[in-house]
Amino acid sequence: MKEILVVDDSATMRRMVMASLRDLKNVNFKEANNGLEAIEQLVIAPVDLMILDLNMPDLHGLEVLQFVRSHQSYTSIPIIVLTTRGDESSRNAALAAGASRYLTKPFEPRSFALAAQELLNQNLCQL
Amino acid sequence: MTNLFSSFLDDYFAECDEHLMAIRQNLLFVEPYVNQPLLSRSILDKLFGSFHSIKGLSGMVGVNEAEQLAHEMESYLRALRDNKVVLTTEGLDALLSGTKILEEVITAYRIQNPAPDIVPICDRFRTIFTKPEAQEQEQEKSELQEKVELNLPGQSIPTVADTQPKAPKSLKLKPEESIQLAAALEKGNRAWQFEFLPGTEKAARGINVNTVRQRLQSIGQLIHAEPIALENGGIAFDFIVVSNADTDTFADWEKDGISYLPYSEQEIKSQQSTVNSQNEESENGRAGERESGGAEIKSQKSTVKSQKEERESGTTAESPRKAENLDNISPTPPLPHSPAPPLPFTVAPSNVVRVDLARLDELMQMVGELVITRSRLADNLNNLKTILPASHLRTLRETNLTLERQLRDLREGVMRVRMVPIGEIFVRMQFAIRDLVKETQKQVVLEVSGETTEIDKFIVERMMNPLLHLVRNAVSHGLEEQQERVRWGKSPQGKIALRATTVGEMVTIEVEDDGRGVNVEAVTSSAREQESIGADTTLSSETLLDLICASGFSTRKEADLTSGRGVGMTVVKNTVTELGGFLSLDTQVGRGTRFIIQLPLTLAIADALIVSVSGQTFAIPLSSVHEITQVPSADVTLYPTFANASVMGGEWGDKFFKPLRESKWENNEMIAHRGTVLPLIRLARIFNLENEIPGSDAEENLQPTLKKELNTQTNILQSINSQSLLNLVVVGNGFSAAAIVVDRILGQREIVVRPLTDPLVQVTGIAGATELGDGYAVLILDIIALTRAARIKN
Repeated sequence: MKEILVVDDSATMRRMVMASLRDLKNVNFKEANNGLEAIEQLVIAPVDLMILDLNMPDLHGLEVLQFVRSHQSYTSIPIIVLTTRGDESSRNAALAAGASRYLTKPFEPRSFALAAQELLNQNLCQL
Repeated sequence: MTNLFSSFLDDYFAECDEHLMAIRQNLLFVEPYVNQPLLSRSILDKLFGSFHSIKGLSGMVGVNEAEQLAHEMESYLRALRDNKVVLTTEGLDALLSGTKILEEVITAYRIQNPAPDIVPICDRFRTIFTKPEAQEQEQEKSELQEKVELNLPGQSIPTVADTQPKAPKSLKLKPEESIQLAAALEKGNRAWQFEFLPGTEKAARGINVNTVRQRLQSIGQLIHAEPIALENGGIAFDFIVVSNADTDTFADWEKDGISYLPYSEQEIKSQQSTVNSQNEESENGRAGERESGGAEIKSQKSTVKSQKEERESGTTAESPRKAENLDNISPTPPLPHSPAPPLPFTVAPSNVVRVDLARLDELMQMVGELVITRSRLADNLNNLKTILPASHLRTLRETNLTLERQLRDLREGVMRVRMVPIGEIFVRMQFAIRDLVKETQKQVVLEVSGETTEIDKFIVERMMNPLLHLVRNAVSHGLEEQQERVRWGKSPQGKIALRATTVGEMVTIEVEDDGRGVNVEAVTSSAREQESIGADTTLSSETLLDLICASGFSTRKEADLTSGRGVGMTVVKNTVTELGGFLSLDTQVGRGTRFIIQLPLTLAIADALIVSVSGQTFAIPLSSVHEITQVPSADVTLYPTFANASVMGGEWGDKFFKPLRESKWENNEMIAHRGTVLPLIRLARIFNLENEIPGSDAEENLQPTLKKELNTQTNILQSINSQSLLNLVVVGNGFSAAAIVVDRILGQREIVVRPLTDPLVQVTGIAGATELGDGYAVLILDIIALTRAARIKN
């Protein structure tokens, strides 16, 4: 069973993300409402893929990304940054900070699911 | 957009509602900062976040207009947040109207109407704030780079921890947080650094970063939160909290993995110096930009100033002051120059469950059915008393009583779930007043009390427009112009009070202004012109209310409460009545007007008095029962009727009084009671029940009926000379009180109200029906209609 952690401060958005990914085989979803909670989830149980929103109160998604990537235990977790912001600079910053993919909202469920599946498969090869 | 997301529309609307509510609240916080360079960043962040979320969600479900408008507003807020522009009056106005239009766009989508045009408002934002595209990107980049740089030291933290395992770890406070911290310390608070080690076992016990954060927020102000990488590969969360709480309060938390250290002054100083140096650095790095930004601010300031001079008596110049006045709902915002941030309004989404109201209705319905089944059980138990031994019967009865109590708790629990604080709609009133103030050049102070009073969600929704109407009326017609107020020796600022209180099963909402009061003469003469009332009739306050609430009635003159409204007051009155409430009016010329709305807390289940009249059983809602009493029938006085054609002529009079002139309403029996006079209501006459017992047509003939009833049945109110006594249930409140004559009082029961929706069975005086468990339907009296009819004919 693959664990997917969906981090977004909007509950509706989290449900939309999970609905888009529901056809993936053998996945289990975990949710986090904010950045600190996302990091806590990583501590509690291993995660195979993280879907990360950028604009969140308290801890910005970018800060979460940097923290996770700077920590040896979590450097290799695939992270899809999924954000409403679409301009190039934040894309570059997110990719520079170690995002595996940078996707924008509104997203197309099928291609989003494909990206997620691809990252899950990659992770499998690495192990 | 794909169909996949259309199933999330309800969630989308609910979440947008939450965000819009938070936006409205936060905009009120922002208002005092107009033309002030120091705008609280945390509130701007919240506003920005709300618009950002709406934008994202709207994009997902395909509400493109909302997405686009939210994007424009978000861009403006970003510029404000990054201190690129200063909030101007125009900017705030645009934000306020933008919010309104955004809400309209979303509502239009919800009810499948065409969306309002958003081009003008988007253009407005573009004029207020023109952004060179390139500069924005550069700014964005540098902001992000700043973040990256700020975070780099985080990687070296494990080494710091290595050498000093118990020493406070250096935290990376944002400049805004350092300012907050310094301000809190200045007020004599103490700063603490808390560290929480998350773990699987703790999470299972419900101790996680969110609950820890809540604990910390309960003891003081949470300034900063940050994840920390420990040298052993673990992760901790560090928080800085300022608090006056005794260490005893949180010393105990150590067992839950929450350790604490005083956050030392040195630490703070070094922190501040880091911040300062960072600021310097960034200032050097962006010196040119800063300068141009400063110039922009200056030029804007001067425009505002000249505008102020232009409209000296205008409202724009006044708005910051008014804003403060209007801000009574929320905690007082700090003075613009104070560095302490106000506590922003937050919705805690993680603890809130959204439920469709229809589901709660179903639940209430089921509870109602349980209530009926229980009373059936009670009846059956009663039938067993001849068969069962006393000891068995007693235990059964005890169980039945426990069941009744538990059912009552269940009913109250379900009711509480439906309750929302009325403050939700009071916030909207603030906005309505704000808009009106701009149009009318009046100054208004809004006083709000009881905004935490809870009331059924359904009732709140229905009361929104009526309350808005009353508030608008109060501002535009109730309050005088400033000069006029001064002439009358009043303060130039008008006062409007919104109050809510709970009394028993009813909620009272008051809308009061200290304006000119209803011009009774104008209403009277207008009513005479329209021949609604007789030439020399004087008006009581209920008649006055009835007149101004009558559809189509208007004095058509400026400067009085009733002018300028089409059917508004009619809607107010009808809505209140439909919800089972009372509307009353209290007005004094030159002193002000007060509308008092009394509403039931909830609609579905109520306590009722069960009475019988001429063999028919009725339920009277207990909330409207004031007293049960007996009076000698000889005390009843007959008043001559004046409801003849010469007094109540005209089309309007006909419409209003004709039904009442029918013989069954036309008896004017009165009784003196506690210093006032109460009209008697004879249900037997009104509902034509006399036929069941022959010879009860006239009052004196009713006595044998009463005698018969009392002789054949035991009466709980029986007294020695019962034959000459009338059993009265005093109902209604204040001016609209009346006494209902009943034969017997059968007891008090919980009833499940089922409205009579079929127009064919709707009868004046009957509000609905209920079932008492024996399978027979019992009619619920419409006390408002009955008392009104009884009063009017007098």
